Amino acid sequence: MRTYVRMVVCIHLPRFELQIAAGGSSSAAQQALAGRALALAPLPGTTPRPSAAQADLDPAGLSVSRGAGRVGEVSGAAEAHGVRRGMAMGEALARCPQLELLAADPVGVAEAWQSVIDSLESVGAAVEPARAGLAYFSADGLRGLYGDDRAVIAAVQRALQRPARVGAGPTRFCAMAAALAVRSRRALVLEGKEAQRWLAARPIELLGLRAETEALLEPLQLLGVRTLGELAALSRDALADRFGSAGVIAHALARGEDRPLRPRSSSERVRETLAVGDASSGEALQRVLGVLVDRLLARRERRGRSLRSVALSARLLSGGGWRERVVFREALCDRRRILLALSVRLAALPAPAAMLGLEVEGFGPAAGEQRALLDDPRELRAARLREAVAQVRAVAGADGALRAVCVDPDSRVPERRVMLTPLAER
Amino acid sequence: MKGALNEPRAARVRIGAQGVPARVDGRAVGLVRECWLVEDRWWTQRPLRRRYWELLSDGGRNMVVFEDLCAPPGGARWFSQRP
Repeated sequence: MRTYVRMVVCIHLPRFELQIAAGGSSSAAQQALAGRALALAPLPGTTPRPSAAQADLDPAGLSVSRGAGRVGEVSGAAEAHGVRRGMAMGEALARCPQLELLAADPVGVAEAWQSVIDSLESVGAAVEPARAGLAYFSADGLRGLYGDDRAVIAAVQRALQRPARVGAGPTRFCAMAAALAVRSRRALVLEGKEAQRWLAARPIELLGLRAETEALLEPLQLLGVRTLGELAALSRDALADRFGSAGVIAHALARGEDRPLRPRSSSERVRETLAVGDASSGEALQRVLGVLVDRLLARRERRGRSLRSVALSARLLSGGGWRERVVFREALCDRRRILLALSVRLAALPAPAAMLGLEVEGFGPAAGEQRALLDDPRELRAARLREAVAQVRAVAGADGALRAVCVDPDSRVPERRVMLTPLAER
Repeated sequence: MKGALNEPRAARVRIGAQGVPARVDGRAVGLVRECWLVEDRWWTQRPLRRRYWELLSDGGRNMVVFEDLCAPPGGARWFSQRP
């Protein structure tokens, strides 16, 4: 009889954001990455900060933080010149004068990462996405489907259809360390005592890849702690005294303990995009946003639910993209209030947009119809109009009643002046 | 889901002397009221270049057509559209 073994699998797609910015996961893009010194340019609209200390602390380019005015992921050729993710742009260019900067594409990254997660879920995995290029899932429930852990990993690699580094271990941290140590497509699977022994020999730089323990890296190095085994040998109480809760977490990670997986709950994707044409900024762009909100509220998949959080994104005319997550203070389904909340964020758009997108990230409870205490004539008219719209839609379909919105009334191209948007029933 | 209002519709246009439309969708052109050129988005991969004609048919019908000067070879070149 086989003993039940808990196994977490980590999928690591190295330089995921850089690959997307370089043109996707095609072989041409891979070749371009292989030979050229490339780095993701600082996000538009950010300014450099004076200090730069953590550049050398991130050997795998997975660090959580990416400050303003700092380069993002870098290619292998750039790394060979000493350029690291999170390094100040001036320092990066000084170390590697031939460094090419690519505009970051957060919109493309979000879309590509979503498709990766979908691929993982298609084999039955309950996935916890850590960040773009790094995800975990538990292999325990999949053994019955595929046989053993190796077969599960093989199924995942087939589903991904792109080269990925795969590591597996009893905890998330151990699985991530294994995935980072892998240098080929062959997965590294660590079990039981073997996993603890292997982890003990790993350098403490791995702690820099977790947000909770990132700050401990430098003081631990100064104290002469080099490996996770040395850290695990220290007293937990002493680490708690010196570093607080971060010290306790680091000690647990070094001993091969970690919090359980928190898989995401898969939900339907509701997204609307619109090419903005001439309305690439200012008031005209606000009107385009209004059209997107109307369309999103009219989607059948919403089923009367309010919106808890949305992602506002744009492809920029100058290349690259911009994406911002907006969490509403309370779940909304009122067009005006949603627009009010989003308009403030739209003002932060770093450059004129070529395409604007709006995606629901989380739904709130279904919005019930709330009646006013006193009858307001305007409300009565609006209620009658809603009823009429619902009736027309029932007869003529979803597009039976639409609203014409002046998006760019001064455009010289007639078809760009007015857009048709759905009339919100509620 | 519908998008833009007043999208261009393909039109059958026969050209007369000096490149001026002579017939639009089978209607003879009686008068050329105005002609203008619209050039836009020349800085992008998909530039827009149209020559608009505002015409009056023999029967007194007002018509606006344009020739898409960026149309690919073999593609539709003439469209009608309200100005």
